[in-house]
Amino acid sequence: MAQGKRAVQERLYSPRALLTCPAPNKAQERLSQVSSHLGGSPESDSKSSILNKSPDDVVVTCALRTPFTKGGKGLFKDTAAADLLALTLKNLLERSRIDPNLVEDIATGCVLAPGGGATEYRAAALAAGFPVTTAVKSLNRQCSSGLQACVDIANAIKAGMIDIGIGSGVESMSSQYGPGAVTEFSDLLENHLEAANCKVPMGVLSEQMAKDRHISRADQDAFAASSYQKALKAQQAGLFDEEIAPVTVQYTDPKTGEDKTVTVSKDDGVRPGITAESLGKIRAAFAKDGSIHAGNASQVSDGAAAVLLMKRSTAERLGQPVLGKFVAASVVGVPPLLMGIGPWKAIPVALGKAGVSKDDVDIYEINEAFASQAVWCVKELGLPLEKVNPKGGAIAFGHPLGCTGARQVSTLFTELKRTGKKIGVTSMCVGTGM
Amino acid sequence: MLEFRTRGYQGYAVKYSPFFDNRIAVAASANYGLVGNGRLYILELTPQGIQALKSYPTQDALYDVTHSEAHSFHVLTSSGDGSLRLYDSSLAPEFPIATFQEHSREAFSCSWNLTSKATFASSSWDGSVKIWNPERQQSLLTLPTHSCTYSTQWNPHTDGMLSAVCSDSHLRVWDLRTPASASNHLTMQIPIHSAPFSGGVGKLQPTFPPSEALTHDWNKYRSTIVATAGVDRIIRTFDIRQPKGPLQMLQGHGYAVRKVAWSPHLPDLLLSASYDMTCRVWTDGGDHGGQARELGSMGRHTEFATGVDWCLFGSEGWAASCGWDERVCVWDVRSFMHQ
Repeated sequence: MAQGKRAVQERLYSPRALLTCPAPNKAQERLSQVSSHLGGSPESDSKSSILNKSPDDVVVTCALRTPFTKGGKGLFKDTAAADLLALTLKNLLERSRIDPNLVEDIATGCVLAPGGGATEYRAAALAAGFPVTTAVKSLNRQCSSGLQACVDIANAIKAGMIDIGIGSGVESMSSQYGPGAVTEFSDLLENHLEAANCKVPMGVLSEQMAKDRHISRADQDAFAASSYQKALKAQQAGLFDEEIAPVTVQYTDPKTGEDKTVTVSKDDGVRPGITAESLGKIRAAFAKDGSIHAGNASQVSDGAAAVLLMKRSTAERLGQPVLGKFVAASVVGVPPLLMGIGPWKAIPVALGKAGVSKDDVDIYEINEAFASQAVWCVKELGLPLEKVNPKGGAIAFGHPLGCTGARQVSTLFTELKRTGKKIGVTSMCVGTGM
Repeated sequence: MLEFRTRGYQGYAVKYSPFFDNRIAVAASANYGLVGNGRLYILELTPQGIQALKSYPTQDALYDVTHSEAHSFHVLTSSGDGSLRLYDSSLAPEFPIATFQEHSREAFSCSWNLTSKATFASSSWDGSVKIWNPERQQSLLTLPTHSCTYSTQWNPHTDGMLSAVCSDSHLRVWDLRTPASASNHLTMQIPIHSAPFSGGVGKLQPTFPPSEALTHDWNKYRSTIVATAGVDRIIRTFDIRQPKGPLQMLQGHGYAVRKVAWSPHLPDLLLSASYDMTCRVWTDGGDHGGQARELGSMGRHTEFATGVDWCLFGSEGWAASCGWDERVCVWDVRSFMHQ
């Protein structure tokens, strides 16, 4: 076999063949075709195979989001989550020009809405212009709900349950963030050690994890500052303009009490002048000797995002532009107190399913719930920092819980398309340990 | 085993004549089909070994050859310049009697209609399958596949049904009896890489990434069975009545499979030729659930084996193969079967 391979290499690269060549491009193409038949190691096989285009691929043809605004004071503070979703779905319809009658299901991730927001979101889809035949569900996988919504739709398309669907996420932390989101734990849960850990607040357990895993404040601040700087640069260069669909909402000015109609088109969390040094001055929020503070954790925000998915063959039939394809997804549980290590566990599993190595991946979009856990995961996985969150992340422009996953999908595909890169991975840590 | 050397030209395809038990056509190319000329050989098996009856030079590489089902001396080739050329080996001149030029890229396969015998099909890198009548310069029909199409074959049982496999890892089946519509007669599009059909419920199903399909063939006895093979080294059989996934997966080749051919004599037997330099003979277990397995391997080729075909006549089991070692081998499959 080795002999055969050597033989072809000699044949394929023999100067005689190339010198006598009347149309070098054609010969070169034939040569690379025969080489591709032979393939190399199984790894490189699967890298090229995930880049192959096949009619049964699940592809993204449109992905967008609202701008993210600060919870409680941003321009979305008086807009209900369902309204944000309705406006985003409407924008998706307009931008993709998909016939709403063809969309069979919409999955919406959200975390804080009572009852999962299922009733409101169905109503929102109808208000956005979808017919009654388009089904809607809401789902909650904590911070990863929006991502799970996209995966659920992709799986439903793969399994043949639907042909066209929308994965989306929405959160109005202004109106729904607070202690009411979790009910009292029963004695049964309280008396089980690991179960009781599920309600330890995120900040407290991340502080503990930062201590246990020796993640220094300096590292966290440097990572957070770079997130701000990358996001600012991207915003100034207009790199978010493609994924952001502006929305017009009502806003009550807290100073004058005046009602205004405003069109929001930019993330308000992104701001200039943030450096590791300036973050270094902020007081820790969860412990006196702690390292986590408002500047190196994700911001509380409002926003919505939506991703249109279908089979490649359907996209070609409808003339929808293909932004990229969905290859594989994974979910892994981790101890509730170490929820921040989730991406470190889940990314290798997803890469294994796709059959590619971590070096094959061009962009990693990893949620920055806290700089501490993001830095730790990136370091433990050995990812080059320049491949991680090239346009910044939740520290810079916010983390509307249920929405962020869908936001990451839209950010990732937009950035892959813009830079002409091929393979992206998105991952996030999930409260209660996933 | 009989041998013939196609000196200076590496074999790409070999076909036994459906009319003469001693005649073989071989499509070969200089410089491994990358650049330069091609050559069509019409070989004859004689008591003195294999003799070249005719050979035709061509401008560009030849990738496939097929015999006319209607005329015993007509042979059709498909070429690197996208052209299809029809030769009459009973006539003297060295040039084709007809040329069909529509494909804009390499034409990788040609196949004569086995039922109506009046038409033939070709497939090309330009992402199309074309159907032709030898008496007309223009194609009768173009069926788009949108990706490099390595192989097209007519169903030997049903008139007007043909199929193709492409680099996008799909098996397409067209039925020309269906009315003209936006689907271009496409009746089936089977993902070759899908999980096996008989995996059983609850068992963990292995998954296969898509990979380029290079060859396929219709079973000569079971009208709904097709074998496909390609870059992922696995030969699969499909029943088009149950297009969810493959029935059987035959694994053993060390490199991509270039050609598969079902036996004209036995319903469960097929031959394959591969980049791993072997030709192998397999059984798919037949219709009654026998065990699918490799029955034997022929390793005489010293370079990629690219073409293999069964002899339709005489004692069952003679086959011809060709390869990049510039050799055409004629051999008895039974002598290579494991005991």
